[in-house]
Amino acid sequence: MTATTAPEAALGILPRADGSAKYSHAGYTVTGSVNGPIEAQRRDEHAYEAHVDVIVRPAAGVGGTRERHLESILQSSLSQLILVKDFPRSLIQIVLQVENSPENDYVDTKLVQASLNFSIMPALLQTAVLALLSAAVPMRATATATAIAVAQQGDHKKTIIDPSPRDIETAHSVHVLAFTSHDELLLAESEGDFTVRDWDDVYETAKRICCRSARPKEGMAMVLDEDDVGGPDMRHFLQSTMESKVAADLHWK
Amino acid sequence: MASDHLFVLPGETIDPALVPTHKKHPLRLGPGLRHIPPSDIVPTVAGQLITNPLKNSMWVEFNSQRYIPTTGDLVLATVTRNAPEAYLCSLSAYTPAATLPHLAFEGATKKTRPQLAPGQLVYARVALAHRHMDPELECVSAATGRADGLGPIAAGNGCVFDVSLGFARRLLMARSREDGGVGVLEMLAGQDPEVVVGGAGGGGGLAFETAVGRNGKVWVGSESAKTVVLVGRALQETDRARLGLEGQRRLVKRLLREMR
Amino acid sequence: MPREAEPSLNEKQFVLQALQENLRLDGRELDQYRPLDLSFGDQYGVADVTLGRTRVLAKATAEVTVPYADRPLDGIFTIATELSPMTSPAFEVNRPTETEVLLSRLLEKTVRRSGALDTESLCLVAGQKCWSVRVDVHVLSHDGNLIDASCLAVVAALRHFRKPDTSMDAGVLTVYTPAEREPVPLSWLHSPFCVTWSFFGDEADIAVLDATWLEEQVRVGSCTISLNKHGEICQIAKLGGTPVDAVALLQCTSVALTKVKEFSDLLDTKLAEDLKRRDKGGFMAELRAENER
Repeated sequence: MTATTAPEAALGILPRADGSAKYSHAGYTVTGSVNGPIEAQRRDEHAYEAHVDVIVRPAAGVGGTRERHLESILQSSLSQLILVKDFPRSLIQIVLQVENSPENDYVDTKLVQASLNFSIMPALLQTAVLALLSAAVPMRATATATAIAVAQQGDHKKTIIDPSPRDIETAHSVHVLAFTSHDELLLAESEGDFTVRDWDDVYETAKRICCRSARPKEGMAMVLDEDDVGGPDMRHFLQSTMESKVAADLHWK
Repeated sequence: MASDHLFVLPGETIDPALVPTHKKHPLRLGPGLRHIPPSDIVPTVAGQLITNPLKNSMWVEFNSQRYIPTTGDLVLATVTRNAPEAYLCSLSAYTPAATLPHLAFEGATKKTRPQLAPGQLVYARVALAHRHMDPELECVSAATGRADGLGPIAAGNGCVFDVSLGFARRLLMARSREDGGVGVLEMLAGQDPEVVVGGAGGGGGLAFETAVGRNGKVWVGSESAKTVVLVGRALQETDRARLGLEGQRRLVKRLLREMR
Repeated sequence: MPREAEPSLNEKQFVLQALQENLRLDGRELDQYRPLDLSFGDQYGVADVTLGRTRVLAKATAEVTVPYADRPLDGIFTIATELSPMTSPAFEVNRPTETEVLLSRLLEKTVRRSGALDTESLCLVAGQKCWSVRVDVHVLSHDGNLIDASCLAVVAALRHFRKPDTSMDAGVLTVYTPAEREPVPLSWLHSPFCVTWSFFGDEADIAVLDATWLEEQVRVGSCTISLNKHGEICQIAKLGGTPVDAVALLQCTSVALTKVKEFSDLLDTKLAEDLKRRDKGGFMAELRAENER
């Protein structure tokens, strides 16, 4: 049972950080803070570009290998979005604190050694992008992400958007895809057994969710029903969140 | 002068029709935009795109907290230590130090230069800011040799308050009330007819002075500590609560009542 | 090499000068706390405390594990406070600073050593299985007074938390999932809170409650008093700093008691509100579970 709740975000919630965002969607809530460009430590500084440091902290327990893995994936994606060449020898520090993950009420969870769910990655990336926009760190483009599971239904496969922990347990494979605002594929991670055909379906579905035109033109109002995608319009959400933030900031104009 | 409220996100394409053209002046790009040769202008932050056809310039208006040194900005720096030939100053927390040469003061020679202690505040201008170098400051205009209000601020006088960069920019505007929507300082100084202050300063307002740094720091100095606290609170509250002029009037009245 | 953000001399001198005139930069009284807000998450055991611009999030979790060999009849209770760069860029992961060590030590003495949580009730099978309760403290924003905010968050999280229900049947331990049986609260004995006083001036004669980050940089000493609403003191910690007059310290302790009673009332009110909110939702959740079976 996937509850398609709309994503929610609040920006600038941490008063001492350069930029911050709290994002919740599909049961995940992540708070992100961005500080930078600030001075990098000697061991981290690069001569011609900024160092992007991502730190992922789970809600409970100490982070382990899984968190480091998520950090390295996010770091490589975010480094492509941020204009790192503008700030040589600097550090852009992004900390993502997981506050809430959807619980599986049918299973006793092991919490101290629990590793983060793979499908938290879209929430982490989205929070990071929102926090970077809130900090006004110069970027090449914005990005949107989504998680999709492929499960067996009868004798054919079906794609589930924003799978719940129950869905993930029973699915064949889970995929996380992210696209930039220029419709380019930024991130593609998969777990499980799947065929190339499955991946193509997943790609198409993800592209529809992440790359729907942010500004609805006239006559597009009915598209949602026809599309039968059922997922949230991530780009529109990103744009409307930032638009209200900018309008509030520039209230004096 | 300003165009319609066009909201932009990083990486969006800008309609070429919006880009101003001018017969004589080349197009100048302000903060928030970058030029991708040959003819693409792309925003790098989320904000409002503003164009000025008269001066043939365009920029993105946005608010942020982290100061990035830009040549020509007036900043409020804190001296961290004394190095040979220059003072090392901090413009913001956790960023590399900026250098302020010992002789970059009005009428300074090796024998008669001002002695600054670590922790002292200096009102300076950014002389050089390049991404590959640490920023450099000066307290004297290179062209005229005059200080024009720049220089050290005596220790033990007043306090510094942190504000957002957009708010500092509004305070530094020539007509901060009309163009920037910030009237608190005028109200507290007794220059707003709708707010009665009843203080010791000229015009029946409070007596204080301020120095606004583009790096998000405002120094407020006064004989009375209460005045400093009042002005500081008014500024920070206006910034954080995003108050309009009416809200600022109510805030000033409330603060004056509380701190009588 | 840790980063440092040092306030200017003007700021430091002014804070002291203002305090000597009974003024604080944010207009508070010397013994006044900043606006305190406490909220709970959707999941049990998540407490979010906002004290002015300081924000602390605490999450309590439990799992079944093997008890310590030297304490076979007790469960395990740990409080983890790892400060990240989200608190401030001055902090690094895996590199404990003095702030972090002091925070962790004070929370340990206040909540663990005082026996606020009955660890014997966490025992399931003597010597073989017990509950391990763990509270993770995440400091989201640091503007001073982490200790008081963190302690409140930890106590709130533990009182809000529900652990899975268990039953013992002929030597077989069954742990029920939340869908099978409603989780049960922890066995809580008393609620300790921390009140931190900061001292200023050459004689340390100005005592201030709930210092902001800037005030903390200027203070010459601090004293954290942990007690519950009955006036039972768990610990008093004054680690170094300028010596404070003993009578003044006693006065600080009695004011601390007043504040702790306020904290206690706030926590009780918020817990009651949360319970009422969940009763409507909780009922529906039970129904849903039954339908699916």
